[in-house]
Amino acid sequence: MGMSAQDKMLNVASRLGLTSLKDMQGTTRMVYDSNATASVNHTFFKGAAQRAFPLSNVGANGNQFQVNEALLVEKIGFFIPGAADGISYFGLTTGQASVKFDLVIGNKTVIKDATVELGGEQAFYNDGTIASSVIDLEGVGILIPPQVEYYVIAKSFLAADRIASSTRLGCYLFGTGALLNFNTTI
Amino acid sequence: MANQVQKVAYVDSKLGVSLPGQQTTRVIYDSVNAVAGQQFFQFFTNFAGKNEFQTNLTTNKLDSAESMVIKSVQIIMNSATSNIADHLNLNITVGNQVVLKDFDPSFNATSRGLSFDRLHSGFTSSTNLEVRLLTEIVIPPQVNFKAELQLSNALIAVDDDVTIIFKGYGRIFSAGNSF
Repeated sequence: MGMSAQDKMLNVASRLGLTSLKDMQGTTRMVYDSNATASVNHTFFKGAAQRAFPLSNVGANGNQFQVNEALLVEKIGFFIPGAADGISYFGLTTGQASVKFDLVIGNKTVIKDATVELGGEQAFYNDGTIASSVIDLEGVGILIPPQVEYYVIAKSFLAADRIASSTRLGCYLFGTGALLNFNTTI
Repeated sequence: MANQVQKVAYVDSKLGVSLPGQQTTRVIYDSVNAVAGQQFFQFFTNFAGKNEFQTNLTTNKLDSAESMVIKSVQIIMNSATSNIADHLNLNITVGNQVVLKDFDPSFNATSRGLSFDRLHSGFTSSTNLEVRLLTEIVIPPQVNFKAELQLSNALIAVDDDVTIIFKGYGRIFSAGNSF
């Protein structure tokens, strides 16, 4: 479709009335959150301000970006924390897990009942010899605008048996971002 | 969208750098010798006593009329006890402005099916990773910059080394005249 990630960010920002986003610092951005307690149901990023690094990297702003900061989500990955401290982690192959998830931005579900299947995308993407635990978003990606809450609801299951599976789980959102740049003396 | 050459030229012109310079590929690096259990590392802030393989800069700025765009960041750790496959937190500051914020490059370490890059190869090191940035970041001439890395594990031993490497397109000084 010929639109770059930066073009899409500016286009959406313009439609939302965020006229100064174009003046902000472009960057590569990723946010992640993890649930180090084994469970079938997981909610990522909501309440993440309570989870310090290395369980999450969202910091005090929690599950929304501050003024004039944004993330165009281009990839979503799921990982399995190795222990309750969240320091180490593995791909989904370690737990033989697949993940069904929704991505919600504001009051709107923007990805619905999608799955990252164990071994999925391996025709296109091997990480060494390991199949991907990452899904590339079709098109250019989806923008998380500034000061809008976002979260991911996920359920882990076994890909072959198609039954729920309790596991630790983490999620990252990766893509092109914008960081606040005052562009003036304050 | 501006390409890297246009972007450097644009930023430089905004900052009043008019000299065209020699276009090149630029690699800059800095290495820190760790103390046991160290978790916070600052790069490009201290150059004293380092040899030419530990850093190729003598100050935390590029020379006058020299600039670069950071296209990829590589991190190398020399440690038998620690790794950079556990969660990391990387911040890069140019001038007084954070240009890469709370970024976790560890997903590109080893082979876990979690890397950001489609072309991730069979290189499976847990102590050597590289991340290609989606937006190129300009380091203009004579503007200080630094990188700060936080490890989530405290396993690094005394005398282990952590090195950060910025790679990309750049311009180096070329007077274009006889002196």
